[in-house]
Amino acid sequence: MSEATEEILEHLAAISFVAGRDAREALPAVAPLGEEASLRFLETGRDLFFYDREAGKAFFHATANMVAAFAGLDPWLEQSRQFLTQRGTFRAVVGFFAQAATVRKSWGAEGEALWFKLGAAWIDRHVDSAAAYFRMPVATLFGDNGTTGLTALLQPADSLAKGRLGLGTYLDGAIKVRGICGLDGVAEWARRGADVLAAGRIRGEAWFRLESDEARSFLLEVLPGFRMGTHKRLFGLLLQAWTGLHLPLEEGDWSLEGGRSFLETDGRSLFVPAVMPDREEALLAFYHTGAHLAYDSYEQDAIHALFAEIGMEHPPLDPDQRITWRPLFAQFGEDLIRFQMIFDLCEDLRVDVALDREMPGYISRVVRAARKHGLPEGVAAAYYEQAQRYLEDYQQGRLSPDLADLTRSEAGIVDAFRVAMALYATTTLPPLTLTERARAYLPGHSPNAARPVYPRQKHGSDGPEVEGDSALGAAGHQEKPKETPQAAEGNDPDMEIPPEDIQGTGGRVGVGIPLPAKVAGSGRGVKGPKGGWPYREWDYRHQQYKMDWARVHERKLREKDEAKAIEIAAEYDGTLRRLKRALQAQKPTRMSPRRRQYEGEEPDLEAAVQFLIEKRAGRSPKASVYLQRRPQQRDTAVLLLADLSTSIMAEAGDSGVRVVDRLRAAMLLFGEALLEVGDPFAVYGFASKYHDEVLMYPIKRFTDRFDARARALLGGLSGRLATRMGAAIRHSSKLMLRSPAQRRLLLILSDGRPADYDDGGDARYLQEDTRMAVREALELGIHAFCISLDPQGGEYLPQVFGQGHYLVLPHLDSLPARLPEVYLRLRGHG
Amino acid sequence: MSEMIIQEPFYQPVANEVGVFMAAWSRRLPVMLKGPTGCGKTRFLEHMAWRLKRPLITVACHEDLTSSDLVGRFLIEGDATVWQDGPLTKAVREGAICYLDEIVEARTDTTVVIHPLTDHRRHLPIEKLGTEISAHPDFMLVISYNPGYQTVLKDLKPSTKQRFVGMNFTYPPAEVETRIVMKEAGLDESRSKALVAAADKARNLKDQGLQEVTSTRALIYAGALMVAGLESLEACTMAIINPQTDDPELSEALLEIFRTFFPER
Ligand SMILES: Nc1ncnc2c1ncn2[C@@H]1O[C@H](COP(=O)(O)OP(=O)(O)O)[C@@H](O)[C@H]1O
Ligand SMILES: [Mg+2]
Repeated sequence: MSEATEEILEHLAAISFVAGRDAREALPAVAPLGEEASLRFLETGRDLFFYDREAGKAFFHATANMVAAFAGLDPWLEQSRQFLTQRGTFRAVVGFFAQAATVRKSWGAEGEALWFKLGAAWIDRHVDSAAAYFRMPVATLFGDNGTTGLTALLQPADSLAKGRLGLGTYLDGAIKVRGICGLDGVAEWARRGADVLAAGRIRGEAWFRLESDEARSFLLEVLPGFRMGTHKRLFGLLLQAWTGLHLPLEEGDWSLEGGRSFLETDGRSLFVPAVMPDREEALLAFYHTGAHLAYDSYEQDAIHALFAEIGMEHPPLDPDQRITWRPLFAQFGEDLIRFQMIFDLCEDLRVDVALDREMPGYISRVVRAARKHGLPEGVAAAYYEQAQRYLEDYQQGRLSPDLADLTRSEAGIVDAFRVAMALYATTTLPPLTLTERARAYLPGHSPNAARPVYPRQKHGSDGPEVEGDSALGAAGHQEKPKETPQAAEGNDPDMEIPPEDIQGTGGRVGVGIPLPAKVAGSGRGVKGPKGGWPYREWDYRHQQYKMDWARVHERKLREKDEAKAIEIAAEYDGTLRRLKRALQAQKPTRMSPRRRQYEGEEPDLEAAVQFLIEKRAGRSPKASVYLQRRPQQRDTAVLLLADLSTSIMAEAGDSGVRVVDRLRAAMLLFGEALLEVGDPFAVYGFASKYHDEVLMYPIKRFTDRFDARARALLGGLSGRLATRMGAAIRHSSKLMLRSPAQRRLLLILSDGRPADYDDGGDARYLQEDTRMAVREALELGIHAFCISLDPQGGEYLPQVFGQGHYLVLPHLDSLPARLPEVYLRLRGHG
Repeated sequence: MSEMIIQEPFYQPVANEVGVFMAAWSRRLPVMLKGPTGCGKTRFLEHMAWRLKRPLITVACHEDLTSSDLVGRFLIEGDATVWQDGPLTKAVREGAICYLDEIVEARTDTTVVIHPLTDHRRHLPIEKLGTEISAHPDFMLVISYNPGYQTVLKDLKPSTKQRFVGMNFTYPPAEVETRIVMKEAGLDESRSKALVAAADKARNLKDQGLQEVTSTRALIYAGALMVAGLESLEACTMAIINPQTDDPELSEALLEIFRTFFPER
């Protein structure tokens, strides 16, 4: 060791113990390259260390690896000096040292030079961008197309930098876009993004983050493959048919792993990707995921048993009460993905076989799709082939005995886990990365533990349906009321209601519904008795009514938004026109005659004959001998009663669409359709806070016209307070009795269970009262029908409204078109 | 329509419906058959009438049905006017079983005439004759209705329903339904099984805007078309899917289900 070398080492040690030690430890890898090289090496290390401690440490730690990968110091030593030219580049350097050796090994000297050059260009320009670049995992960055791919990916970034778009933002988006629609797609996306960026910075960033609607619709435009959006309802229907499950379908992630998009579930909803390769694969994905749900991959007891297998009594829950899977795989450390993959192989085999028993030919379809798709490249192939072979072996009855064990109909996920453990001990399946894992699944299959899940109740344990009379089942009061606690101020939707309705701040009651402030003053109602209209309420605990317990007040809605109403009308122009056309097409049948009228356009022959005969027989028959042709043959009156409680302000999933947005549209379309039909109708909203403040908001009374005012009220609709549905139904019944009609329909639109602040957390209480209110209405000749957006509606709506008197619409987006349609169907055509 | 049923109508019991009906009959209590269309209500009653050796008078109710249509009216015969009993009156006098099929389709002011027949009085007022007749000891009233989604507005009042013994009908369990399809359509067992299995899945779609779910009757029709030589999936489309819905997505979903059981060749 030369004096110069020793001097630097001592210098380093004097500065920092760590520096000295690390340098000494790194030196042996460099020493064989000669004295001059060692000196150069140490000088650079020292400079880096003085520049930034972390950079220096990373340098010494990476040395052995780098020397081996590059077979020397060139060019990486020089490259690393470039980071010294700017302040604050240490994060970039650390990324560089962590990855350069891999780049050199995977993409050669040329690839490494390119990788460095493209990133180094940003050192002067924008340090954070350089850091984002060098820290980006290189396998992700290069993708499948090597150096040309990298060049192409980065190509648009330069000009975007002039629009002050950071490379980090660009890369995150660009890599997703590349995964979705290839490098050509990236170029086009970036070109349009530049225009958007020029138009406004925030809008532009949202585009590049793929957060804006315009970015999403762009992707949909250029995306190859089968578009899922327009077929969601079909998939939902098929899922329901095959599994009996009625789950909401939500928009899945845009990010694709390894160029594939997966259908995922959290046990409550399905997350649907924007596109899938083709219709068959999409169908298989729904069937396969449906099989996991139907055959208890996410069932509570099974999951508990599964965690018990690894000695955990309770699976860990996240703040949303979802089960997180990690601990199950944690014991495998580095080999986690590999074990998880093997477990998926076994569990997928189990549920596929179970489904195949119900759905003839299902496994053949998967095998056919798997062959068509072909083996993926790389290590993923081993898993893909294995999964395919399991299915083929099953078809031919050749499964090994341990696997065959999984094909018993009683086999559960715990059995799959045990088989997986045994397999893991003996298999030669190779380790794999996340990107490779994505390619390893058969068509329609996907990581089973992709998301934390809400554990499900045992499938098929709900037993036979109970008729209206019986008490509510256990399901009736387990769940928390739909209103979730609101933050005190700021984003509390209750605060949006006009100040005169509520004053002061509220506390909280046990249930978790925010306690509203007391109402100041009374008599601000539209009209009606002082203190509101009194109604009785059913108390199931005492099996008797509490007389005059609920008080209903009619209030005016104050917020109007005409512009919004117009905007909605424009948005739903197509739907509205289709609706009107359908109604007009129905008109001729609806003109069918009403017989035995006292007046009319033409004689009713049969009635006239009867009249004459009875007259001759010496009786005095009524002279109802005419036929009328009137458009309103059915003579139905309808009152639409919408639940305006707080929960409608919530977003549906993370779709960015609030319930209220679709509610407004639905109610507007309903109004327009009713105008066309000509039936007498009224539209009311309701909310409540305590039994003595049930609020009814007339939007259009029977006697009002459906005009700009009513539309503006609908445009400005917002949520507030809770849902005391029984009282609202009783009041609506009273209103309906005043309208002259043969048939009266009370159409209730809701998104959850009846609940109020003073129900003491007993969900059953107001449900039972609502059930009684529905029966009372029926005795008055008023038929109640509930359209609910609550996916759990099937648990209580049959008891409350009766079999066939409710409809669950788990797809919020379908509400606007469906509401008028459901009404027309209920009313009956011609 | 009144008839003595001579030949035994084939009826495959599902549970104890025969016993329940016999009990109601022994006390001449009015019976209400509830259930979706095409699940065997009519066939059941035909079978019971045959067993009891009573004539069966069936009235298919509809919107324009008047109380005269049920009770009777005057007719001209030569120079005279004569009274003619309606089907209900006829049954009341003769001691027949009167079956008001799909009663909710008739207007409520028409069906009020049955009220006095449903309690202990068992009589029928005939307004136009100014008389009241007492029911024959063997008279029995049976109504049917389908508590489905489209009849919400036409539902019977609870107070009316409570006058009846209610018997719930649903589609029979798979093995029973398979036997029915085999027997009624003359179809082989494997295709009958497949039809029933597919229907079991299709029936899960009942809340999804279908007016009616796939009925046993529709399965029998599909089976009959297959026996007549139609390709299986086509038979399903014609007999089951097309009559059931105009909704394109629902049709597609149904087709997808039936295709699984009857793959195209
Ligand atoms: N339990 C059963 N036994 C025999 N045939 C049955 C049975 N259930 C249904 N069917 C068949 O289904 C057809 C339709 O039944 P039907 O009694 O007309 O239905 P509904 O009166 O309920 O509308 C019958 O013609 C018969 O062929
Ligand atoms: Mg799976």
